[in-house]
Amino acid sequence: MSFLRVAAAVARKDLRTELRSRETLPALGQFVVLALLIANFGFDVETGGAKVAPGVLWLTVTFAGLVAFGRTFASERDQASLEPLLLTPASRSAIFAGKALAAALVLVACEVVLVPALGLFFNTPVFSLELAAALVLATIGMAGLGCLFAALAAQTRARDLLLPVLALPLWVPFVVVGGRAVQVALGGGGSLNGALALLLDFDILFVVVASLAAKFVLDD
Amino acid sequence: MTDVASTHVSTLSPARADLFRIAAIVDALLLLAAAALAVFHAPADTVQGVVQKIFYLHVPSAIAAYAAFAVVLAGGLVFLWNESPAADRLARVAAEVGLLFTTVMLVSGSLWARPIWGTYWVWWDPRLVSTLVLWLIYAGYLLVRRIATPGRQAGRFAAVVGIVGFIDVPIVHFSVSWWRTIHPPVETATPEALPPEMLLTLGVSMLAVLLLAAVLVGYRYRVEVLKDRLAAELDR
Repeated sequence: MSFLRVAAAVARKDLRTELRSRETLPALGQFVVLALLIANFGFDVETGGAKVAPGVLWLTVTFAGLVAFGRTFASERDQASLEPLLLTPASRSAIFAGKALAAALVLVACEVVLVPALGLFFNTPVFSLELAAALVLATIGMAGLGCLFAALAAQTRARDLLLPVLALPLWVPFVVVGGRAVQVALGGGGSLNGALALLLDFDILFVVVASLAAKFVLDD
Repeated sequence: MTDVASTHVSTLSPARADLFRIAAIVDALLLLAAAALAVFHAPADTVQGVVQKIFYLHVPSAIAAYAAFAVVLAGGLVFLWNESPAADRLARVAAEVGLLFTTVMLVSGSLWARPIWGTYWVWWDPRLVSTLVLWLIYAGYLLVRRIATPGRQAGRFAAVVGIVGFIDVPIVHFSVSWWRTIHPPVETATPEALPPEMLLTLGVSMLAVLLLAAVLVGYRYRVEVLKDRLAAELDR
């Protein structure tokens, strides 16, 4: 089977599991609303609501991402279903790419809840193509790196400890450039195209690197 | 349990143990010489004054840290290639030494920035941010080593973190410089050509700090060899 067909099959399997169990997505949706509630009382929103909104969005996306990506491999481990998957002759990189794709889609679904909720609580635009492009592009690369370290962390004890410590520093390029893109999309000055192009470059680089490295992580 | 302590006390031939000791003594002298040169020989900077002398600790520490992380990268690649335990051990100890010198680099840099830039930390400088991320990535590397099952798994996982982390750091540097170009630029002093007294001091400090890093790697490596032997003996 070709790389893409394996990846699509694994992604379909993960998404179907999620749709049947309905575990991660409802929890992430609640998490997002709770994060906004905390941000609303943590920041002085009365005077600076528009200013803190991009930061609130990024904090919520990164931490929701940690939860979403952590689940992809943790649930496989809980049911001991990763080993049979790895016993198939399919390439490890393709299996990994499929799981990362499913995890990215779960996070995108979470962002579909986050953006309107942010608009409701912080008066930001809800239907913004610029914002959607920035978020989706950042999510792809973050999913590549995040799932690589989630796969690694799931095979160790103290896995919940390891994922944030490994993933967050490596996400910094996405936070720097994606943060800027979101600021522009939410009404800050500057051009968006440069940031989006950079995000796309980072996506290509880190998805390739993570897929190659996954061979060594999904080994035992 | 067998009496392991008495069977493998030393891992080195007496000649190599002597070499280690000599290197450590020579380096202690070099470090004293570097400190003396920095205090008495190198002139104070015309603009920054005495504060600029942090330079003689800061720059060599940075070079030593980067060299150590290059060793981590190389060791990780070799380990993924052929699973050599020696490459894994070398990567392990180089990561510790690299983290140590990155800490020195961050602390000395902050102390230097305070009187010159008026603040301990700025976010517009790509070197500062990428060094902080560098520190965080290799702190994570050492945490992976601690948490993963020792042996093959720890070696592989750490190698992956070391390699991906090494790729990430220049990209952090690049994204912060890109980010800075769309923010108001801040004036920084451009270094002029160094007078010979400063060059000599820098050269000696560089040699002393790099040798210190090598000696630390060497001694830590010996400890790791002993640890691995002990673990193997206890398994038997």
